[in-house]
Amino acid sequence: MTLFLTALFAGLAVGSVYGLIALSYTVVFNSTAIFNVAQGDLMMAGVLVSYFCLDRWHLPQIVTLLVIVAVVVAISLVEERVAVRPFVARPVVGLGWFIATLAFSLIIETVASIIYGQNPVVPIPGALGNGTVSVAGVHVATKFILAFVVMIVVMVALELFYKRTWLGTAMRGVAEDREVAALRGIDALRISRLAFIIAGLVTALAAFVVAPIVSADVTVGLTYGLKGFIALAAGGFGSLRGCVIGGLLLGVAEQMFDLYVSSNYEILAGLILVLIVLAVRPAGLFGTRAVRQV
Amino acid sequence: MSEIAGRLGLAGGGRTWLRWAIPAVLVIVLYIVPQLGGSGSFRLGEYEEVLSFLIIAVALNIAMGYGGQYILGITAVFAVGAYGAILAAKYHPHGIGLVAMCIIGGVVGAVGGLIIGLPALRVGGFYLALVSLFAALAIPTVAQQWGLVGADTGIPLYAVAGFAPEINGEGLYIIVVSLVLLATLFSWALVHSRVGHRFVALHTSPQLATSIGIRAYRTQLLAILIASIMAGIAGGIYVYTQQFFAPGSSSVQFAILLLAGMTIGGMGTIIGPLIGSVIILGINQFFTSFQQYNGIVFGVLLLAFAVFLPNGLMARLNVLGDRLGIRPRAPSLTSGPSAALAAAPAASVAPPATPGTVTTGKPAATLPPWPPVIGAGDSGALVVDGAKRSFGGVTAVDHVDLTLARGQVHGLIGSNGSGKTTLLNLISRFYTLDEGQIRIGSTRLDNQPPHSVARSGIARTFQSPKLMLRETALENVIPAVELRVRCSGPESILRLPRGIRVNRQARDEALEILESLGLHHVLSQPAAALPHGTRRMVELARAIALRPSFILLDEPAAGLSPVELDLVTEVCQNLARSGVGVLLIEHNVPMVLSIADTVTCLHQGRILFQGTPAELRSDTTVASVFLGIDEPLEASS
Repeated sequence: MTLFLTALFAGLAVGSVYGLIALSYTVVFNSTAIFNVAQGDLMMAGVLVSYFCLDRWHLPQIVTLLVIVAVVVAISLVEERVAVRPFVARPVVGLGWFIATLAFSLIIETVASIIYGQNPVVPIPGALGNGTVSVAGVHVATKFILAFVVMIVVMVALELFYKRTWLGTAMRGVAEDREVAALRGIDALRISRLAFIIAGLVTALAAFVVAPIVSADVTVGLTYGLKGFIALAAGGFGSLRGCVIGGLLLGVAEQMFDLYVSSNYEILAGLILVLIVLAVRPAGLFGTRAVRQV
Repeated sequence: MSEIAGRLGLAGGGRTWLRWAIPAVLVIVLYIVPQLGGSGSFRLGEYEEVLSFLIIAVALNIAMGYGGQYILGITAVFAVGAYGAILAAKYHPHGIGLVAMCIIGGVVGAVGGLIIGLPALRVGGFYLALVSLFAALAIPTVAQQWGLVGADTGIPLYAVAGFAPEINGEGLYIIVVSLVLLATLFSWALVHSRVGHRFVALHTSPQLATSIGIRAYRTQLLAILIASIMAGIAGGIYVYTQQFFAPGSSSVQFAILLLAGMTIGGMGTIIGPLIGSVIILGINQFFTSFQQYNGIVFGVLLLAFAVFLPNGLMARLNVLGDRLGIRPRAPSLTSGPSAALAAAPAASVAPPATPGTVTTGKPAATLPPWPPVIGAGDSGALVVDGAKRSFGGVTAVDHVDLTLARGQVHGLIGSNGSGKTTLLNLISRFYTLDEGQIRIGSTRLDNQPPHSVARSGIARTFQSPKLMLRETALENVIPAVELRVRCSGPESILRLPRGIRVNRQARDEALEILESLGLHHVLSQPAAALPHGTRRMVELARAIALRPSFILLDEPAAGLSPVELDLVTEVCQNLARSGVGVLLIEHNVPMVLSIADTVTCLHQGRILFQGTPAELRSDTTVASVFLGIDEPLEASS
């Protein structure tokens, strides 16, 4: 039982990171109809920054967070400018944007591993220290709890933003019909930039909470990005809650696979999960929208 | 063949021989590479490695460049094919050769491709790309831990006692080069077959493909299956030539390299992906000192091409080829649509083919009859019965009844947003009905899949023409003919006797219909180069080419010149005379009233009026709704 609970909490924590990535995908997709493949590597850029700030320069956690936000949002904006805007400005034909964002992801990853160099992968201190809290009789690391809380807060904030504010409504409308949005005075390019700022923010938070969990391994950006996609596909495309549920589901599924099947083949858990969800319920657990035309 | 070339207006002679000379030189170079770059067994192995990757590039190009299926993680399929082949060789070292390994690789690859493709295709779009990339990531990761496949160190076949490849050295190199050429030739034959036509149509637009009866899911799956088999075979070849396979032999980065090669060379061209892959893989293989920075170089190249040159180097080369006269030049369209239709400048570039038929730009003086072929066995009318469809709170079509009889023109008019196009899309099954029925005679259509609509004999056009822009006018019409002029896919790809006959027949019929509409001068021009009015005419030709029992025309006259308008009017009448039921959505009310037997007027989703044109003229409701007057239309005009 203890083993089960420990695995469950670890799964929820890692799942929260997948959920955060899935949320950032959704923010971008809502406003641009583009799935930004580079999101996972953007997060790894944030992890790299936190390695330098905390492990090398011993900066305070709060300063680290600000630096991560600044760097990730900046890269996100560069990406928007060079790899996304050309496709937002003209009618989208085919999946050119997919190739462009994948290329950008490759560039980030290569640059990150050059900067990181041959250094051994080291653990990064968590914002709440390395302590544990007792939950249901098992010790849960505070870094796990932080990840979970951050994800819930981000989801609620995004939900309020989309439902309650004019800007949020506008940001959802643009991807659905760019022309109508333009007629109502909404500038698609500006919205696209804003979406990348918000997604960058979410990704930066994900980087901040994931760094103590995964250590400073900058080569796993694509892996995390793809797992974020699986969270999205499992939860249901376009649904913020779906992202969260899908992320947690994947995180827990991986840990359970580790515990009961084999920890060597953990990656299969995600593959099996996505294939089953797509076969049984293609729109995902909470998905309502058909994604056929994307 | 030359006769067809003549009718297509292809200017022969000149420097077109250069077009064949370049690939020929490339092929010769490929064969003598060992003489040029050293032929030690290590070098040969390296060449063969790149060559087997080229087969994956060809496979990916079929699925992605032509079929539009982004199975980016095809390296996963390559890996399972390779593992299948190497395991077979490890446990049966004596009885296995190159052919057996290719077959095993192909079969295992096909299974792998289907496991990835079947679920992902249910959603479509970029889902396939991401799911397959994840598989490309997962398979090497799993293999690293799995003792059966040698875990991290892989399986060295050269160390297996008893395994002695019967082919080696330069002989093997020659065979591998030949296999690459064979794969390329196959991709050419596939693309220029009925199967390839379906791929491109579906890639262009699912609605377009459905409207000519193409089964979307099956076609996508076929694209993935063919690519997977080829990638699996490449796995077999890789294992035979390298005698080794390990998790590192197929990383997810390799999938991205392939994509880069494909994009840079030019997806959707036959040799573009080969050129691009040779550049990228060559850099990666032979400039290893630079490897740490390769990701940046490839990333920047890939990004630049995706943004600035999405059609790759081949598109540039083709433009260059056109300028130098290396490629056969299509007659250029110098005049506007009306002039092109009315005048005869095209006659000079389109030499007379068969004396007696019209060879100028004019349509045939009298249009040939187009009696229904598909659905001709039935004699029932197309009936829309109480159709209702809402979008959110808006009821776009509200209990509409409509009967389209064979041999009649039924006009459908109404203001923008009155539900005309929605009604059309309901008949085409692009939308499902909330209530009501659609049937031909007593056969219900509304519970059948969308592609069965065309297969029941209903053709349609679109409000904004949907054409395959990179294909010529002729190639746009051929796939429609191929719905009813049938043979099996392999017969068409492999050019078996029946395949050759049917391919030619489809081409001839498409040619005839286009010529009868006066489109001789544009037959071999890509649709992208055609003006709006001509695109509408090509689309009309495609709908007619189905030889349907019913044809649904969505504003066919919008944006046409007076000459073209007359032709469309004549086409509608001719279709009705031939026994086809014509549903004509038009804002050009005088045109509708002049040819329609029945007119339906929609207003806010409901039927405002239904009757003959004469009754409409004397009706006061329509006039009051649209013109705000209480007199019949007749009096107001």
